[in-house]
Amino acid sequence: MQKKVLTEQALYYGDVSMPQHWEIDRTELAHHILHSSLTNEQLQFSKTYDKLDTYMRDFIGLEHSINLVNKSTWGNIYKPNETTIPLLNIDPLDLKNSPDYTLLYGVKTNDCFVTIFYDDNRKKGKNWDIELKNNMFIMFPSTNMYYISNRQKDSLNFVQTITYESI
Amino acid sequence: MAHFAKIDENNRVLAVLTLNNKDMLNADGVETESVGQQYLEKHNNWPAYMWIQTSYNTSLNQHKLGGTPFRGNYAGIGYTWEEDNQIFWSKKPYASWVKHIESASWKSPIGDAPTLTTEQQQQNDALDLNGKRTNDWHYRWNEETQKWDLINSIV
Repeated sequence: MQKKVLTEQALYYGDVSMPQHWEIDRTELAHHILHSSLTNEQLQFSKTYDKLDTYMRDFIGLEHSINLVNKSTWGNIYKPNETTIPLLNIDPLDLKNSPDYTLLYGVKTNDCFVTIFYDDNRKKGKNWDIELKNNMFIMFPSTNMYYISNRQKDSLNFVQTITYESI
Repeated sequence: MAHFAKIDENNRVLAVLTLNNKDMLNADGVETESVGQQYLEKHNNWPAYMWIQTSYNTSLNQHKLGGTPFRGNYAGIGYTWEEDNQIFWSKKPYASWVKHIESASWKSPIGDAPTLTTEQQQQNDALDLNGKRTNDWHYRWNEETQKWDLINSIV
């Protein structure tokens, strides 16, 4: 008896373990997200962002043999007790130009949860909850809808999103 | 062109980059690995000591063009850098295989596969009326029995 996996909905997550003294400067990323939110401008390119992006592409390639190409990036700030509307990073009418994967990175988070919706064959509308901690990433197929909730009442949550195409 | 492997903290190769030889010249105009490492640290956001020079023409501790082999093998993604023996190792093919330092290769616990007999080699070389090979005798490692199995792939 043999098995062939035709499609897979996998969630990749973990800490961004940069070499010592080369850690991601999350304060700088938070500053850029804040600036981008206030000015409504695109996130500015920085060495820190490049470090994060390169780390993800290198390690996802090495450990899971997925070659990623960056499509776009943005940052969001979530207020205390805020829950987003369901988010979807593909355009169902333009799948050709839509990303394959969505990556969320915890820039400055506290009680920040991501809920990802998925279908398990005929069992539709299931969801998976995972906490997005500081310096942690979560990557999943962009075809999965998700929402983000800030489940505490004291501080803002800063989350960086990067979308990727796999080649 | 020079080549450098980018390694992680577990000495696994993440990527291999090409560098212009002029970017690794020291003050005396001599190509130096440490200068290349500094260049890569500055331009690629990864610490200098985690860039290791590798030779495109070295494989199994032999230089393809007859020169001096350098660090065992040309590094590839997923290879492992071994500082002590100065060798880039490919992935271990079987759990029981061991490192053979002199040839920078993995060897089975009972050594290399036996040589094919003259008859087997002749059958491998023979072609049918359509010019196709009729036999492909070779040995394949059997991890369960810890022996080399003789296999004919075509028949």
